[in-house]
This record gives sequence, C-alpha cells and structure tokens, in this order.
Amino acid sequence: MKLVQAGFLAFFLISTALIAQTKSAAVKPATTKAVSAQAAVRPLDLSKLTDSWPTYNGDYSGRRFSPLTKINTTTVKQLSPAWSFRVETTTGGGRRLSATPLEVDGILYFTVPSHMWAVDARSGRKLWQFDWESKGGEAIGNRGAAVRGDTVYFETEDCNLVAVDIHTGKEKWHASIGNPDQFYFGSVAPVIVKNHVMVGISGDDFDIPGYIEAHDPETGALQWRWYTHPNPGEPEAKTWPNDEAMLHGGGMTWVAGTYDAELNLYYFGTGNAQPVINGTARPGANLYTSTICALNPDTGKLVWYFQPNPHDTHDWDAVQTPVLIDGLIAGQTRKLLAQASRNGWYFLLDRTNGKALVSTPYAKQNWTLGVDKNGTPIPNPAKMATTNGTLVSPNQAGASNWFPPSFSPLTGLFYVPAYDAYSVYYVYDNNKRPEGWAGNDRGGWSVASLRALDYKTGKVKWNHEWPSPGGRSGILTTAGNLLFTGDTSANLVAFNATTGAIVWHAGLDGVVSNGPITYELDGLQYVVAAAGDTLYGFVLR
Amino acid sequence: MGRALRLVWVGMLILSCVAGRAWGQFPRSPVEAASAERGGRMYAEQCASCHGEDTRGTAKGPDMIRSLAVLHDRRQMLYGKELGPLLAAGPVHTFQYNEKELADLSQFLTSAVNGILRSGYNAQPSNLLSGDAKAGEAYFNGAGGCSKCHASTGDLATTGNLAGVGKRYSAAALQQKFLFPAVGLRIARKVQVTVSLPGGPVYSGDLVRVDDFTVALKDKAGEYRSFNRTPGTKVTTVDPFAGHAELLNRYTDADIHNLTTYLVTLQ
Repeated sequence: MKLVQAGFLAFFLISTALIAQTKSAAVKPATTKAVSAQAAVRPLDLSKLTDSWPTYNGDYSGRRFSPLTKINTTTVKQLSPAWSFRVETTTGGGRRLSATPLEVDGILYFTVPSHMWAVDARSGRKLWQFDWESKGGEAIGNRGAAVRGDTVYFETEDCNLVAVDIHTGKEKWHASIGNPDQFYFGSVAPVIVKNHVMVGISGDDFDIPGYIEAHDPETGALQWRWYTHPNPGEPEAKTWPNDEAMLHGGGMTWVAGTYDAELNLYYFGTGNAQPVINGTARPGANLYTSTICALNPDTGKLVWYFQPNPHDTHDWDAVQTPVLIDGLIAGQTRKLLAQASRNGWYFLLDRTNGKALVSTPYAKQNWTLGVDKNGTPIPNPAKMATTNGTLVSPNQAGASNWFPPSFSPLTGLFYVPAYDAYSVYYVYDNNKRPEGWAGNDRGGWSVASLRALDYKTGKVKWNHEWPSPGGRSGILTTAGNLLFTGDTSANLVAFNATTGAIVWHAGLDGVVSNGPITYELDGLQYVVAAAGDTLYGFVLR
Repeated sequence: MGRALRLVWVGMLILSCVAGRAWGQFPRSPVEAASAERGGRMYAEQCASCHGEDTRGTAKGPDMIRSLAVLHDRRQMLYGKELGPLLAAGPVHTFQYNEKELADLSQFLTSAVNGILRSGYNAQPSNLLSGDAKAGEAYFNGAGGCSKCHASTGDLATTGNLAGVGKRYSAAALQQKFLFPAVGLRIARKVQVTVSLPGGPVYSGDLVRVDDFTVALKDKAGEYRSFNRTPGTKVTTVDPFAGHAELLNRYTDADIHNLTTYLVTLQ
C-alpha cells in the first residue's frame, strides 16, 4: 500500500508541476486563428489535461481524470455559474446533448445528430454552427467530435464522417462510413490515433455485422475496416452455428475507444449479438460480439480479445469505456484495463494480452452460472427470454450503459453509475429463424447508485444510492479529490471522491446527459456539463 | 398463405403502421395497410414458395428481409421502382409487374422489414398461462406471502382485494402489475414520506419528488409542500410496494408463471 501511496503522491506532484508549467501559457485569447498559425497536424498534447479537454475522454486512457486542483473539496462551494448555451437546432430525435464537449485552445466543440458547434469556452458565446443536411438515420444521440490540427470531425446519423474547418465551421470533406439502408447510423465520437481517424458504427435494429474503421485525416479515404466477427474458417468462427448467422450477428462499436501508445493498441468494446433477444438460432459464444477488443490501429488487425458477455440475449453490449490503468498488482506495475460492463460484471484485464485478473459482479445480477477458466461469465440458459417471461437482473438498460465511468489515480477507485434492476424478458418471435429483435423486456424495478469500486478487486468501497431512480450521467474525477456527475433528477453534484460525501450541487433544467469535463483558462478552472438541450459552464473565481 | 399466417401479417401491418409513427426510423418508411395486404397476396402466390412464407428465405431463395435491394427500396421509399427491373430481368424472375403491383409488393416487403425492428413487435407477450394454477395459489397463500396483504375473494383484504382481478386485466398486464406495481400510469398507492424539520414540525403525505437536496409532498389536504434537506431535517419514506420488490429476489420463474396462471382464474 505504501508503494501505491508513493505512486499516487508522485503522480500528484507531477500533475501539480504540469499545472504550474501551463499557467504561464494559460492566458490565451479564444481564437481559432491561434491554431492555424501552428502546423495543421500539430499533435494533441494529451499528457496534461489542464487547459484543454482534447478528446472524448480527455486523454487516451478513458480515466476522465483531470489533474486540476483549484476546484477542490474546500473551494468547490464557491463554484458558480459562468454561462449557459442552449441548442436550438437538431435533427430527428430531440435536442439531448449526450456529447462530451472537446475544449481546444479556448474553444468548445460539441454535437447533436447532424449538427456541431464551436463555442467560446470562457463565455459560452457561439462562434459557428455546422448543419449537415441529413438523409435520415437513427438520431438517438451523438457522442461528440474529434480534433486534429485545424480539422474537427464527427459522424452523422446518415453514416458520414464529416471533416469541418475548425476556424470557419465549413465542411472540408465527408466520407461514407456505412450503408444507412441497412440501419447503420453514426453516433460515436471519433478518436484520432496517429494518422488515423478511428470511427465506430451504430445500429441494433437489424441483423448486420458491426465494424470499426480508420480514415485518412486529410482526405477521408478509408484505410481499413475490421468487422466484429471472425473470418469464415477461423477458430473463433466456431462460436457461431454457421457463416450466415455470423455475418448477420451484430456487434456494433457504439463508444469511443482508448489507446496505449506504448503498446500501440486501440481498445474498444462491441455491441450485443443479433438477433437480439431470441438467440436460439445462434448457439455459441458469438464472437466478437459483447467483447473487449485490442486492435493495432495501423493495420486494423486484432491482437487480443476478451468476451465479458458470451451469447448475449439481453441487449447487453460490452461497449462501456475500457479504462486504462497503470496499477500495482502484487507489487508489480501492470498495464491494466478495467470495464464495468452492462451485464453487471467488473473486469480487470492485463491490457498487454487480455488475460482476466478479476471478474466479479459489481451490481445485482442473476444470469450466470459462474465464470469459466478465462474469467468469462457463463450464461445461465434458464435466464434467457421465454415466451412466458423470464425475470432477469440487470434489466435491458443494464447495470451500466454508455455513460462514461471514471478512474481516479488519487483514490484508486473506479467510479460507475450503477443500477440494480430487474425486468422480464419475453420472446415475441418464436420463428425457428428469428430476426431483428425477436423479443424485448418489459416493466422494471431499479435502484440507482453512484458506486466506487476498488480497481484491484472490484469490491465496493462506497456507494451513494440516489433517493429515486431516474436518469444516468457520466462521471469526471479530479486531483482536487472531487467527483462530478449528475443525479437521477436534475442536479450536477460534486462528491468527495475518497469518502463519497456530497460537497456541492447545482440544479439544472434536466438530468445531466453527458460526461462533465473540466479545464483551466486564464488561471480559472471551469466545469462544463450538459443537461438536455443546454450546456452549462461553471467557474471558480 | 394460410389463414393464420394472413392474420399474423395483417396484425404486423397494422402494428408496423402504428409503431412506425411512434418509434420508427427516420425516414420512417410508413406502410399503407391495404397496399401491403395486396402485396402480401401477390407474394404468397408468386414468391413464398422460394423465399418463404415468412420472407426469411428457403433453400431455393434468399431471405427478403435481409435483401439489400429490398432494404434500399424501403428506406428510399421507392415503391418498387428499382425492384421492378430486378424482378423482370431474369434468369430467375421474369415478372412484369405494373407500377401499382410493384408498389404493393414494396409495401408488403417494407412491412416485413419493419416487423422485425425493435419497435415492430407486438409488445404483448403470449403463452402466459403455461403455469400451474394450483401451485400459484399455494405460493400466493404460502411461500409468497401474498395473502398477508391481499385477499383473493370476499372483502377481507387489508391492502387489496384481488377478487375479479383476472377479469379486469389481461394476463400480460396482470403479470407486470404483481411484479412491478410501481410502474405504469395508474399507480394505486403513492410512496409515503414524512419530513421532520429541526425543532419539531413534522409533515407527511404522498411523495411528489425527492433528491439529495429537496423533498416535496402533497399532504392529506392536497396541499403541495417542499423542503430543503438542511442538516437536521429527517426524511423517511415508506414504499407501499416494498413487499413486491423484496419478492423479486426470491421468485423463481416457475413461481411467476404459476402465480400469473392462478391470478387469471380470479374472475
């Protein structure tokens, strides 16, 4: 433990030093021109999340941990509203801001389906708005953008990757990322990895295979596409009854991945198998659905995989952010990967090879018969949907969902919005060859909590049960020993990350609908979160 | 196409029209029921023998739901304009359909695609009476502890008389009601809340909303009151359905099926 403490202390000191380094450069005007003066391909500095939040998760680790300390357990009570920005344009399904904003050089970039904004991160003033003329697609949400040099990228629901000039808000190019006729749609925040724009794909209404692909950041040209199923004839193809089932087996890549530059591995989870609820025509584990994958981003080749949820029949994807932790296990520094999966299980993997070190439930669950020798849960056939109903925990929405978790290296805790829940699963399509959804769950009972897990064991260190069930939100932790998240009603809440005590809150117009971020500009630390159609900025003055 | 199959299709058509409006994709590819029904008759006579009565293919012909041509026709709402040449070109097909026939066939195939989407299913489970009513009654009066609060006949109930419940609700609704009574539009009983303020005043009533910072209730007089949860303020809630929630940890699926079958007998 002393080693851990020493490690955290060292990290903290380094973080503080980094903050000190950036202070002198912190006073910069909010101008996109400042960026253009530099090289268009200036690499993002992800080593210090101080004056920027340049990727979906802030950095590549997925920890959503900021080294900033001005807002801390003592000062947070002075955190005050700075500005708000209301989105008044959308396409299709509402105006919910589920995007994590990026903050680069004092400008925020965020999205809803088919629309993107550049907004002054100090004042909330709109600089430009980009409107894509959508040709249709599922518009349930858009998780955000990616920035590289003077270009900002996002996906549209009609399956395009669009590159927009960061200064003017005008389109540079767009490239197809899928066929919307087949119910594919875009919603995922792209991730820039070296010379690749990593693009995930969405769509779970129809029996289509998922994939992930990389595009050239300058031209949009497709570099490679990797389908989330084995090639016919490979050993893993035996986890399907036949190629027809495998090639229509789902496995969407709904959530932005994480990246270890040293290993040159890109990590992401895949979605549920298809047909969704009735799995009788696809016996087997159904690789690589509901699987954590490690890919070489230069080649698109799979390096290893671990399947948290074999043969899914509950719509439980395993796309929850695979969080990269450099931790100490048995006195050894290890490269780890942690996921609190939708099926109620917490997994800690060795991210060099995908071997499971910990597989344990972190929420109520009743669907397994234990774990196999690889640490993969074994589904209980009796807990699959039936025509007369099967009581299952968690429910379809899952113990967790896409909402970003967080890991604080200060506390050693992994934080997740956790639901203990039940619902009843029914098969509606008893055809010998079910297609599409083929069933669903109904009703439900749930208790919503914010849960802090020991990353080494998955054991609950503290739990805050919300007084009523409701919405979910993403999580941010900081070196100020704070955790920011939304409650189930309409509050942005700050916790003492060590103890779980509430230390601050602000009432908003709705449930916090994205992952909050923080950044420091001109010596002032901001916290930004979205609720429904509005982005709220708070600042400590 | 058999009568039963036709009924299923008609049901799916109606549902796909309704569901399409409520939750469908954008564009929603709505279906005109009469047109799709005409297309269904054409399909049954000329296509089903190879592509399957359920449109999901046979050894002689591919799955129509997964056909890229059909999916393109559906999403673009082409009403068969691009399917026509494919159907006429041979060598397998040499159908010469007119514009109206193509539109009808297109509408039928669109409805088949819509029918397998998340929103396409009739969300009313069937086969809910597969349990053992006697075993359900025994569970009701024994291990389930239901009879401690509910009487099944007469007016002896303490919190609920279930006489006639099998008449008032469908089996599907009944099953959901005893499993998750706090879910739905008509919740018979509200969570009760008591707020004890520092210094003594105590307020009670139906819980309106609560979070970590405020609580609101409606008292017996119907007056709305809200309170800040300042230090020293004590908030206590009583869930009238706590017994139902506790059972979720104990039910077997057989218990649920038996109980459903039993409760339906309470006519």
